[in-house]
Amino acid sequence: MKQIKGARGRLGFQIERSEKRLLLEVLQLYPMIPADHQKLSKTGQRDEDQQLLEEALAEQRLENRKQLEAMLNARNRFRKIKGKESYQFSLKTSEADWLLQVLNDIRVGSWLKLGSPEKTDDFFAALSEKTAPYFWAMEVSGQFQMILVHALGKHS
Amino acid sequence: MVDTATPQILPDIEQDEKSKPESELEPGYLVVCWNDPVNFMEYVTHVFQTVFGWNKQKAEHHMMQVHNQGKSVLVRESMEKAEHYVHQLQKYSLHATMERDK
Repeated sequence: MKQIKGARGRLGFQIERSEKRLLLEVLQLYPMIPADHQKLSKTGQRDEDQQLLEEALAEQRLENRKQLEAMLNARNRFRKIKGKESYQFSLKTSEADWLLQVLNDIRVGSWLKLGSPEKTDDFFAALSEKTAPYFWAMEVSGQFQMILVHALGKHS
Repeated sequence: MVDTATPQILPDIEQDEKSKPESELEPGYLVVCWNDPVNFMEYVTHVFQTVFGWNKQKAEHHMMQVHNQGKSVLVRESMEKAEHYVHQLQKYSLHATMERDK
């Protein structure tokens, strides 16, 4: 996937057919971070505040999931380029930022599933037939994230 | 005959604020971002720029603090605002918390 010129302030991208399949496949995994993973404070917080935070994050993820379904099912989201095995699509900056949040949830959630390895050696130690899909999801979501971050950086 | 309800005066927002403990309104809460080996440096910079409206230089400075020192104090705010910022940062799946400034 690479950035191309976008029309009317939008961010334009060109994506190969195989990359598009990867993107749609990895997005199906959203959400991956458990609702109770995030803590409001390390040094103690009121239970009701923590509960409110978890509820707000859960609501946000539900809303994101709905928005994601709408995006994945939008007929004209990806436009095939004539004579090529690739597609064009564009995003508003707010959509790109939102997609980044979704992809990072998948990346961090996959990392948690791997047991939150700290160092490269720990990553390899965590690798097994069972955990391999989480490595895949972490790497794939990370690749798309970097393209979006750079596109947003150039745009601002 | 239906009773006419006596008009009730409900406290407005200003009054509600006044009823809050002073400690919650004071900027005595630190919003801290903690290091982890999974979030990309460029992504963290982007999130700081988006959430706090910082320029790239300031966002990168805090991102490097997180990376090199394990954490960075991003802002010092009232309890309510600190909660808001923590929620925003956690929406982006960053490891952020709020801590009472001692």
